[in-house]
Amino acid sequence: MESIRGRMTIWYATALIVSLAVFAVVLYFARRSATYQDLDRRIQSEADLTAGILAESYHARGLLVRKDTTGKPVLISEVAAVLEVVPDYLLVTSRDGQLLFGSPDARSLGFAHFEQLTALASSPGGLSGPKRFQMPSGPTLDYVVRSVPEAGGQIGIILAGADTRSAELQVEQLVTTIVIAFLVGVVPAVLVGRWIAGQALEPVDSMITEIREITDGRSLHRRLPVPMEKDELGRLAATLNQMWTRLERSFAALRRFTADASHELKTPLTVVRAGVERAITRPDMPPETLATLEETLQEVNRMTELLDSLLTLARADEGRAELHREPVDLRDIIEEAGETGELLAEHAGVGIDIKLPPDPLVVTVDRSRVRQLALNLIENAVKYTPRGGQVSVELGANDGRAVFTVADTGIGIAAGDLPHIFDRFWRADSARTRTSERAGTGLGLAICKWIAEAHGGTIDVQSRPGRGTTFTVGLPRA
Amino acid sequence: MKILVIEDDKTVGEYVRRGLDEAGYHVDLVGDGDEGLKRASGKGASYDMMVLDLRLPRLSGIEVLRTLRDRGVGLPVLVLTAQDSVDFKVQALRMGADDYVTKPFAFEELLARVEALGRRPKAIAPPLLKVNGLVLDTGSREVTRDGKRIELTPKEYAVLEYLMRHQGRVMSRTLITEYAWDYHFDPGTNIVDVVITRLRKKIDHAKELKLIHTVRGVGYVVRA
Repeated sequence: MESIRGRMTIWYATALIVSLAVFAVVLYFARRSATYQDLDRRIQSEADLTAGILAESYHARGLLVRKDTTGKPVLISEVAAVLEVVPDYLLVTSRDGQLLFGSPDARSLGFAHFEQLTALASSPGGLSGPKRFQMPSGPTLDYVVRSVPEAGGQIGIILAGADTRSAELQVEQLVTTIVIAFLVGVVPAVLVGRWIAGQALEPVDSMITEIREITDGRSLHRRLPVPMEKDELGRLAATLNQMWTRLERSFAALRRFTADASHELKTPLTVVRAGVERAITRPDMPPETLATLEETLQEVNRMTELLDSLLTLARADEGRAELHREPVDLRDIIEEAGETGELLAEHAGVGIDIKLPPDPLVVTVDRSRVRQLALNLIENAVKYTPRGGQVSVELGANDGRAVFTVADTGIGIAAGDLPHIFDRFWRADSARTRTSERAGTGLGLAICKWIAEAHGGTIDVQSRPGRGTTFTVGLPRA
Repeated sequence: MKILVIEDDKTVGEYVRRGLDEAGYHVDLVGDGDEGLKRASGKGASYDMMVLDLRLPRLSGIEVLRTLRDRGVGLPVLVLTAQDSVDFKVQALRMGADDYVTKPFAFEELLARVEALGRRPKAIAPPLLKVNGLVLDTGSREVTRDGKRIELTPKEYAVLEYLMRHQGRVMSRTLITEYAWDYHFDPGTNIVDVVITRLRKKIDHAKELKLIHTVRGVGYVVRA
């Protein structure tokens, strides 16, 4: 996540969801256990109620059991009629284990399940508190078994049980409620959290906008407004302002140095050059002296070139892109650079191929800078291409941009070196040129990058060692 | 034609003075802005052009320029500057300079600009350069040898023109490169050899009299 706001929202949402989840889980288990306790209390009281009815009837009548028409013992009908209204599963057995009564719910069970229920009642486990029993392929039930000693020995045990499905149903409803509340609650809460984070960070955002305007290089004299309250942001603004004051001072020093250096270094260079030039054009100089003077002149030129490049980049760092823009047909520039490229390529034994579009490609650029860019790229391509190789120069238009590519079949650039080739004074160890070529200043590509970007354009490189390199320059056509 | 050169560095000033002198101009050299301003705008001032260094003691070149224009003196001014930044040049041009040359400059460049400002290219550079049967017309950019037309590319033409302008004198590769390309772009001196090879094919091939000669380690000369 890119913004603090986004991260804060995520942290907040995570904390909210985790605490809600913990709350929901605790609630779920507490509620579930309470529901089952209620169920168990219900069957216990049903058992007790039944025992009470039986005991009372015994005191009133003395006889509780009669034989039905088939000779089986059953509860007398007055008692049975009272017990009929007891819900859930209720069984009453005689002392010898004969079933005397089954409640309507119990009777409505299938035969197999009813058998299992009666088996529970007569199981040797005897009297017990609430137990749970899962009928094979049938309902799960909680049940209690108790004896009725007050019934004069006519009754064996009472079994009261209830299907746990009703309890489960309640718990399921709870889960549904929790999920709905979760969705309805969390989404707006996260949105509100995001809004709050945005509110808290809004001054930071507006600060960023202002900082960006100040650091574009032209507005270093501007300062951030410092709010009255000395909160974190107020202190940050004050600190940034102090930093800019120092930056502004050092940029001013750099500017002074740039001006001084260009004067202090160039004037002596002019003097050296003047002397050499005067001597070299004298008709009576012996040839050996002329050769030395020629070499000196070359070195003077190299120094001048290096100095110009350094000053150009120093000013570029300051953000003062000095371009003398005018509408130019790029074909003219590339054609001229192309002729120089042909001459260089002929000397190096490299083939060169220059493709220009048929229609004028007019862009508003600094003519001499773009010319320098084209010459640098073409010169490099020829320099790093072995004898017999090929350099292709192409100019075209694409998507409202003028696109200029210089491709060679040269030694290429190692993948690890690619990110550094536009760095100043950077040279690949493996970048061997023909030994006769003089080394460049190491600033050529850095200057190229500056020229392309100062025009609002781009410069890209693709390369494979041993296969060749392609530089692509895109310039906006507006 | 009288030129006033204001330059505080003696060597540079003397170099400019002598060079312009050789080219047929009458030159006065002064070392500071005060003196220069007095001479240029005083009574009886009769200069046709001024070559002005921008960095001067006491009164800066920009000040000289502004005062001069304020006083209504309209003589052409060529500025010498070590600053090659665009805004600096623009500032000088806004102050009323007519052109500028960036230090360190090739004398050829300075001369070319002085010629252009003085609007007298005819006196310095005759339209027709001739060496034996080889003729170069600087107006129409046509080249012929013994009456036969020779087609040259722009760079070939520039190199030949430079050598013919200085016929009989050895011109170093660096000087030729600077002239034919740019005073501030150096594609390496070997490139001149390639151009010369091409020129020889077009001009000297199958001719008994060779006009382009090599001076080993230095450069080339055109002579009959």
